[in-house]
Amino acid sequence: MADCEILVIGGGPAGMAAVLGAWEAGCRKILLVERSEQLGGILRQCLHSGFGLATFGEELTGPEYARRYIQRLQGLPVDILTDTSVIELKPDGTALLSGAVSGLTNIKAAAVILASGCRERPIGTLPVTGTRPSGIFTAGAAQKMVNLGGYDFGQRFVILGSGDVGMIMARQLALLGKTIIAVLEKEARCGGLERNRINCLERFNIPLRTLCTVTRVHGSARVEGVTVRNLSDGHEEYIACDTLITSVGLIPERELAEQAGGGGALPDWLYLCGNACYVHDLVDDVTYEGEAIGRAAADFVRTGRKKAAPAIMNGTRTAVNGKAGKTICIACPKGCPLVKTDTGWSGALCGRKDPVPSE
Amino acid sequence: MEKYDVIVIGGGLLGCFTARALTRYRLKLALLEAREDVCTGISRANTAIIYSGADTKPGSLKSEMCVRSAQTFANLCSQLGVRYSPCGSLMISFGPRGEEVLGKKMAQGKANGVRGLALLSREEVLSIEPNVSPAVTAGLFAPEAGTVIPWELGIAAAENALHNGAEFQFNSAVTRIEKVPDGYVLEAGGRPFHARGIINCAGLYADGLHEMVAKPSVRIYPEAGDYYILDTKASGVIRHIIFHEPEEKGKGLTLVPTVDGNILLGPSKIPSGEKNDAFPTSKEGLEWLCGLAEQVIPSLPMEHVIRSFGAVRPNPFYVRHDPDTGLLHRDDKGISDFILHETDGAPNFLSFIGIKTPGLTCALELGLYAADRMAALLGNLQPNDAFNPNNPAPLRLKELSEEARAQRVREKPSYGRIVCRCRGISEGEIIDSIHHSIGAKTVDGVKRRTGAGSGRCQGGFCTQRIIEILSQELGIPVCDIQKDRPGSKVIGGKDHG
Repeated sequence: MADCEILVIGGGPAGMAAVLGAWEAGCRKILLVERSEQLGGILRQCLHSGFGLATFGEELTGPEYARRYIQRLQGLPVDILTDTSVIELKPDGTALLSGAVSGLTNIKAAAVILASGCRERPIGTLPVTGTRPSGIFTAGAAQKMVNLGGYDFGQRFVILGSGDVGMIMARQLALLGKTIIAVLEKEARCGGLERNRINCLERFNIPLRTLCTVTRVHGSARVEGVTVRNLSDGHEEYIACDTLITSVGLIPERELAEQAGGGGALPDWLYLCGNACYVHDLVDDVTYEGEAIGRAAADFVRTGRKKAAPAIMNGTRTAVNGKAGKTICIACPKGCPLVKTDTGWSGALCGRKDPVPSE
Repeated sequence: MEKYDVIVIGGGLLGCFTARALTRYRLKLALLEAREDVCTGISRANTAIIYSGADTKPGSLKSEMCVRSAQTFANLCSQLGVRYSPCGSLMISFGPRGEEVLGKKMAQGKANGVRGLALLSREEVLSIEPNVSPAVTAGLFAPEAGTVIPWELGIAAAENALHNGAEFQFNSAVTRIEKVPDGYVLEAGGRPFHARGIINCAGLYADGLHEMVAKPSVRIYPEAGDYYILDTKASGVIRHIIFHEPEEKGKGLTLVPTVDGNILLGPSKIPSGEKNDAFPTSKEGLEWLCGLAEQVIPSLPMEHVIRSFGAVRPNPFYVRHDPDTGLLHRDDKGISDFILHETDGAPNFLSFIGIKTPGLTCALELGLYAADRMAALLGNLQPNDAFNPNNPAPLRLKELSEEARAQRVREKPSYGRIVCRCRGISEGEIIDSIHHSIGAKTVDGVKRRTGAGSGRCQGGFCTQRIIEILSQELGIPVCDIQKDRPGSKVIGGKDHG
């Protein structure tokens, strides 16, 4: 495999956008490496709609959104290696690739864009005691089992954490006829987007119990129940269930960057984008930033100098420069575009004055 | 009915090493294991330490075995193809009481024949372990301590026993033992077995097994413990096994830099009383660990905890019937030395009951001890001249050079496909683990053999794929793949899609 100007690690929305951004900025020797057999990343398992409102002005499913970028990539003469993982990123910018078909190869690139997404915080990181039987899944793993595997893995569910993936899974499992006993949230308010709370929980009569958490798991072979603690009064109760889904946080997956930086600052030739940089609420932001990172990396390859990293959008807190109206409100179920008013931003359809929920 | 010379009950570390030691003789041998795999009980949940031998009283069988084992452990591991980290241990004190204990252990260790023990000053401790709390006052360094992955050792011993002629019967819990004139008839997994001699290595349940042929004389009164595992990101925070000797009387904290680069923290000591082999963790225990960790290694990055697990200490006590009340009376003090129990009314029936620390260290020695005792009891056994003590190590791609690894991928492409991204384990290594002589049958079996699923995402990304690989390689539907024990199926079926 020939060396390249830009190596993009990860073929999800961030990586695909980075390739497009780099191409548009004039870079021609680009290699995109994706660990699974198809491009699309986590979008492939997001069969629900709500993607692309800001970018395309319409509601797409995850695979539909991904397909638009896959088609654009397929029209370009960039190298794409699927079924291939980057297992090491050396401090000199050499990446060690491993794939069943592509074999074990070193690739030297002038710039590397790490778009490896994020992972879910496992239950072992939480102060949850008791046993660790079968029937405990993270929300994303559960989503993959249902949507990509078509597997059935439980009947009576407790969902710990009201992150977006957790709420989306609650709705999907309810649609499959499963019993969702409750979604538990340790904070006083829902952890995910308000529109997901309304669309996924309220409309399906799934109870959201705030200030509640799971303190203990019961069962030796399969989950038999959980102890739920009300954090406001300390009251504990036993809830029988056969499956516990956790949606308790996402962690940027950037161990390769840590390896390349040797524990210090990131090298100039390395860029982070998408959820590997920080966890985004909206894929539209991921795409927008990915393209900007791609252009910045192309600029670095051309000039040998790294300019200040492109501004990250930090959710929709900051509207896109000159692109007001293409950013959507995450505070209401409509997901309406934002418009600038004298006093700040507001939702175009719902008229909310403070369209972005505070954290 | 199948007839054997010797049957070993229990496939934990002790059972596996006892079976291996028995294959040095020419005899017909079976190991009966209740579960679907070896090393699923106490052997899978412990502190993973090879002790130097400074902690036990001189003159005991325990001390003698422990010192000998520690000094030869690297050799055993290389024979069995098992990874060993001879990292040494450092016991640290925080005041006069602790220093006194260090001095006692130093003298005791010397009397036991432990090599290289050294008392260290505060400065010396901080120079070799800079992240220990500056409140430390002294240390006792034992260079011949180390750490191993207990189930990796047990699986290798089991495979070696199998290659040398032992039979393994899984899903074969012993439910009945009957004394017959020429030995014993056992019922296990619904099938009868006949044996001239029996070695009971049933771990937590060894007392119950013993009482199938004898009156109650030793009982296990278990105690629970809790552990935390830190991600490999915390690797380097400590370099040695650290034993913390607290100033107040009571238990100190133990930290282990594991073979895989994690840090293991624990165990706590929680009164339990129940033989719960699902090993639940406790709130008190985990909180105790967090509290002490902060005192002993203030910079220990507890945000890198990826898992907690529970364990059980099988504390043995002599018991006897009180003729007045008819109740069992338990001795105040537990049995401290290793004892291979024999009973008058039950010839050729040997029991290890309540083998705890340093049982892992002494697994080889205990196995040899039991096997040789059985050989003496049965008499006229011939040595097995074909006995081969070596077991081939499984292929671990990460240990290869880049060139060698690339060659392996060319030969077998599945070695190139990474399934567990956190540990960097390939599909090929997972497939190998399933087809090994004592192969993985469950998700946890794959985890114990390859490490897949034991990293920072704890199987979030790879569990589904591992189930699919198990299904494909074993030729059984995904809905029949268990996480570990019976009843622990992960996927109920394919109901749509």
